[in-house]
Amino acid sequence: MTPSARRPGDGHEHPGQWAETSRCRVAGARRFGAFTALEVLAPAITREARPGQFVMVTVPGGGFLLRRPLSIFTARGDRLGLLVEARGPGSERLAAVGVGEALEVAGPLGSAFPAADLRSALLVGGGIGCAPLQFLADALGATGVVVTAAFGFRDARQARATGAFDIARLWVTTEDGSVGRRGMVTDLLAAVDVPPSTTVFCCGPAAMIAAVQRWTATEGLRGYASLEAHMACGVGACHGCVVATTRGALRVCSEGPVFPLDEVVTG
Amino acid sequence: MTGVDGVDLRVDLGSLTLEHPLVDASGTFDLLENARRFRGDYFAAFPYAAYVPKTVTSGPREGNPPPRVTETACGMINAIGLENPGVEAFVSSLPALRPLRQPVIVSVGGNAPEDFAAVVRHLEEALDSSPGPPHVAGYELNVSCPNVRGGLSIGVDPGATAAVTTAVRALTSRLVLVKLTPNVTDVRPVARAAVQAGADGLSLVNTLRGMVLDPATLRPFLGNRTGGLCGPAIKPVALRMVAEVAEELPGVPLVGMGGVTSGRDALEFIACGATAVAVGAANFSGLEAPRRILEELRRECAARGFARVGDARGLALARAG
Repeated sequence: MTPSARRPGDGHEHPGQWAETSRCRVAGARRFGAFTALEVLAPAITREARPGQFVMVTVPGGGFLLRRPLSIFTARGDRLGLLVEARGPGSERLAAVGVGEALEVAGPLGSAFPAADLRSALLVGGGIGCAPLQFLADALGATGVVVTAAFGFRDARQARATGAFDIARLWVTTEDGSVGRRGMVTDLLAAVDVPPSTTVFCCGPAAMIAAVQRWTATEGLRGYASLEAHMACGVGACHGCVVATTRGALRVCSEGPVFPLDEVVTG
Repeated sequence: MTGVDGVDLRVDLGSLTLEHPLVDASGTFDLLENARRFRGDYFAAFPYAAYVPKTVTSGPREGNPPPRVTETACGMINAIGLENPGVEAFVSSLPALRPLRQPVIVSVGGNAPEDFAAVVRHLEEALDSSPGPPHVAGYELNVSCPNVRGGLSIGVDPGATAAVTTAVRALTSRLVLVKLTPNVTDVRPVARAAVQAGADGLSLVNTLRGMVLDPATLRPFLGNRTGGLCGPAIKPVALRMVAEVAEELPGVPLVGMGGVTSGRDALEFIACGATAVAVGAANFSGLEAPRRILEELRRECAARGFARVGDARGLALARAG
C-alpha cells in the first residue's frame, strides 16, 4: 500500500481491474513495419476494458520471464486488439506470434481516460504510444465527440503503424519528413485548430509528454497523459514502475497509467 | 494440507506450523492489491502458507529514482530501494488483513539496530493493544537489501547482523528470521552470528548485486545504477548457499529462495536443507503461479514416493562422517 491509494475525484478514472490470467487464442496478426497488430479472443477482458487501461501479456513458454504491459489498442466485440512494437527480446517474441497461438493475458488493469462529458478531443501520440488512443477514439466517436489525432513517428518505417489505425481526422508527422509533415508531433500542435473546450489526451515518449504539457498549460486546455514504464508485476506489488508526480512517486500500473497531465513531473 | 494423493505438505518452521512449505518473498507479492483485482474471495484463495509483506521501515521511504526494474537473461534486476509508507501506516493497514487465515511474517528493514528495534517495538505495542487477527507470527529481518545505502553493510558483517538480531530478540517472543545476502565470500559466519544472537531461523538468499547498461547510451540503465539480480539465473547460487548453511547449522529452520518457478525448484531447495521455500520473481508471471508451483510440488513428492514433503529435506547435503 502506498500513501497514495486510489482517490475518487482525483480527476481521472479508476474502473475495475482484474488480475486473473486468461489463455487467449490469437485470431489475427497483421504486420505494419516494426509493429504487429494482434487480435486475441478475450471476451471477459473486452467487456470490462476502458480506454487507457492495459493488459499484462506473455507467450506461454516464450522464453522470457516477465509479462509485458501492453495498452489496449481496441476492444471490439470479443476481440482484444494489441499493438506491439518489436524492440527487445520479449516484444520481439510477442510481435512474432501467429494466428492460432495462445497468449496469457491478465486485465484490464490500471486507470482509464475520462471519457464522459467531452465535446472535442485532441489525441496526441508518439510511436508505440499511439496505441491506446485508437481505443479512446473508438469510444469517443461512438458518443459523438469530435476527435482529432496527431501522431508522430521517427521515420517511414515506423509510420507504417498508421495502417493499423482507423481515425478519420489523423495528422501524421515524421522526424525525417518521409511521411506527413516533417518534425515532432508537438510542432504540429500550434497549427491544429481546436475549440477551447477541447480535452487533450497524450501517450508517448517523455519529451513529447513534456511538450504537450507546456502547450496545454499555455492554451489553458485540460489534458491527460498515459505514461509508459518498465514493469515487473503490473498489479501494484513491486513498486517497480513508479513515476514522479505532483502527488509524489506513483505506480504507473495502479494509480496510472493515465494521470492528469498537470500532475506529471517531467524533465 | 494432505492432498488426494496423500502427500503431507505441512512443515514446522521453528515453532510455527505451516500448512505447506511455500511463502512469498518479501516485495514481490501484495495480498491487498491482489484482492482488489480478484473476482472471488482472495483471502479464501490466498495461495501461500504465510504472508510476507513488503519490507517495513521505521519511517516512510520514497525508494530509488526510476527506472527500477528490467528483465535480464533468465532473470530480472530491480532497485526499488525499500519504498514503503513506514511502520505507522503498516500498522493501520493490518485490520485489512483480518480475514487472512494464514500467519503474517513482517519483513523489517533499517540501517542500524535501533531502526529495526523501532519497527518491532511499534508492532509489538500495536499487537498487544489489539490482539486477534491477523496472526502476526514473526519477523524477517532484512539485513540484505542491496539497493539502499548501508543496506548491505549489516548483512555482510557477522557482528552487525548479530547486533540487529539481539536488538530485536530482546523485544519479542515471536519467530525471528534473519534474511541473508549472497553478496559475501562465505555466508556461514553471518548465519552463525544471527543464530547465536537469537534468530529462530534464516531466510536466504536476497538478490545478487548487479548492473545493466542501456544499450543505446552504455550508461547504467537503473536509476540507482546497480540493482539486485533475481530469478532463475541465481538459483544455482542460492541452492549452494542454502546447502552450506544447512550443513553448517543442522537443525536451524531455513527459508530457501532464489529463482523458484516450479515445484521441482521448490523441492530442490528442500533437498538442500530448506524447511520452507519462498517464491519471488515467479509471482510476476501471474496470480496463478503460486498455486501451480504448490500443485507441482505435491506431484513431485508423490511421484518420488515421499509421504511427507519433509522426507526430501537434506537429500542433497553432504553426509557427516
